[in-house]
Amino acid sequence: MIIDKNIPIKMEESTSLILDLIYRLKIKDVMSRNLVVALPEDPLDHIKALMKQRNVTGIPIVKKDRLLGILSIDDIFKALDNGYIQELAEKHMSKKLVMLEEDMPLAFAISYFDKFKYGRFPVVDKNNLLVGMITSRDINVGLLMAINKEVARMEELLAQNTPVDAQNIRKTFRIRKYDFEHAGNASNRIKKLLVDRKLDPRDIRRVAVAMYEMEINIAVHSEGGSLTVAIDNDQAEIIAKDAAPGIEHPELALQEGYSTANEWIKSLGFGAGMGLANIRRVSDEFEFQSALGKGTVVRSVVRFKRKKENEDDH
Amino acid sequence: MKIDQLIKELDCEVLHRCKETGVKDLKHFVVSDLMSDVLLVDGEVDLLITSLSTAQAMRTADIVSAKGVIVVNGKAVTADMKAAAKEFDMTLLKTKLSTFEACGAIHRLKGS
Amino acid sequence: MIIRDLLTCKELVLVQKDFDDAVISGGYTSDLLSDVMAHAAADNVLITIQAHINTVAVAKLVGIRVLLIANDREILEDMVQAAQKEKIAIFRSKLNQFDLSVLVGRLLAEG
Repeated sequence: MIIDKNIPIKMEESTSLILDLIYRLKIKDVMSRNLVVALPEDPLDHIKALMKQRNVTGIPIVKKDRLLGILSIDDIFKALDNGYIQELAEKHMSKKLVMLEEDMPLAFAISYFDKFKYGRFPVVDKNNLLVGMITSRDINVGLLMAINKEVARMEELLAQNTPVDAQNIRKTFRIRKYDFEHAGNASNRIKKLLVDRKLDPRDIRRVAVAMYEMEINIAVHSEGGSLTVAIDNDQAEIIAKDAAPGIEHPELALQEGYSTANEWIKSLGFGAGMGLANIRRVSDEFEFQSALGKGTVVRSVVRFKRKKENEDDH
Repeated sequence: MKIDQLIKELDCEVLHRCKETGVKDLKHFVVSDLMSDVLLVDGEVDLLITSLSTAQAMRTADIVSAKGVIVVNGKAVTADMKAAAKEFDMTLLKTKLSTFEACGAIHRLKGS
Repeated sequence: MIIRDLLTCKELVLVQKDFDDAVISGGYTSDLLSDVMAHAAADNVLITIQAHINTVAVAKLVGIRVLLIANDREILEDMVQAAQKEKIAIFRSKLNQFDLSVLVGRLLAEG
């Protein structure tokens, strides 16, 4: 019989997509809620029958949803070998319980499976009541489904990005939360494209600054989002969108110096509270909408006022 | 002044050298440890003087089209920062001097 | 030199005038308060754009007696009051950190 193996995901070696997922997904998103439970006064014989019937290898012992202990299939084998299968659950259940909370990120569950050798963990809610069980299979299935969704989304974005032609650029970038290794990258790339097009340096500066501020805002303040750029001969339009968490006081966010960034963010050189005001300052058109729970949308248009090379009059 | 004079005067370690910088005269210096502040600068930026030794500092410097970055206070320059300097082909220097001292030293060079 | 000597500079505007005069022997220019805490000296002028109350707390910790706010940054009222309580002087200037560092350096050299 196969004991659950360790989950082969090492944090240090994972891609940022996987890390994003295992922190974004919560245990409650993948756990089994269909609980097979037993009472402390149930005999081990009954536990054995339950396991066979319901095809599970671990049964939590509860009293009024309160988790008291757990019995595994190994405990049943021991009982059979030593002849006490008729004794009660509460006498032989493991009381040293390692539990997970439903709101914890999946990353924690993965660490626990790595650290402890149990095949399953009971999951409790904030009030310590049993709400589910999680096995490594649950994690596998949950991750596979989430990865599938992500890849589908990325493929769709790829299809949306039309190839660069002589006149127009249209690209969408996905910006990940706290991904400081890459945050700003999209803006650097677009700026390079603009420099190659020989636009006026002042216009390039405005586009680069607006885009960069938006990109950093997504990485610093949101759960992740997208940045879409549309550039033609006359202007650059940049739209930043994120779905969470939204800004509690949008009118304050526009104030110079107002920032909700934490100390860690500030130590990285961000979070001075100038972002939105700065985007507005360099833009010819500026729109900003946000609400707590709804997310944020920022739109900037920079019109190209002067061309670097002389144009024919028309 | 030219970059080589600056490197000598401030006793800089050169972590990446962009070919262009050698030619131009350096005139516009921006001091900041806050990337958001660098983004408020309107004019030309020749050299960014900062104690932030991260790839972000290079990215921000690139956004404002700076020719290079000098990391002060003897801060250790991360591998990402060096990689970013190569990626954007921007000069990256390092000095033990503090920001305050570096500004004074650069000013003295300007005069000469 | 002493803090009072800074009053002669037309580029520096005195914003918090209730201060205890002190000898200045150097300058520290930084926007990262953690750096200021780690490396600045008590007899330094602190040149920064961090115009808020935390700067006063850090100055107090290090023993700094005078703050120079660059880039004409707006100084919040609670910062001024906190500095007044500690008798720390605050000047404000349109100059940026580079020019302010040079200015203070020059004043120090002139004695």
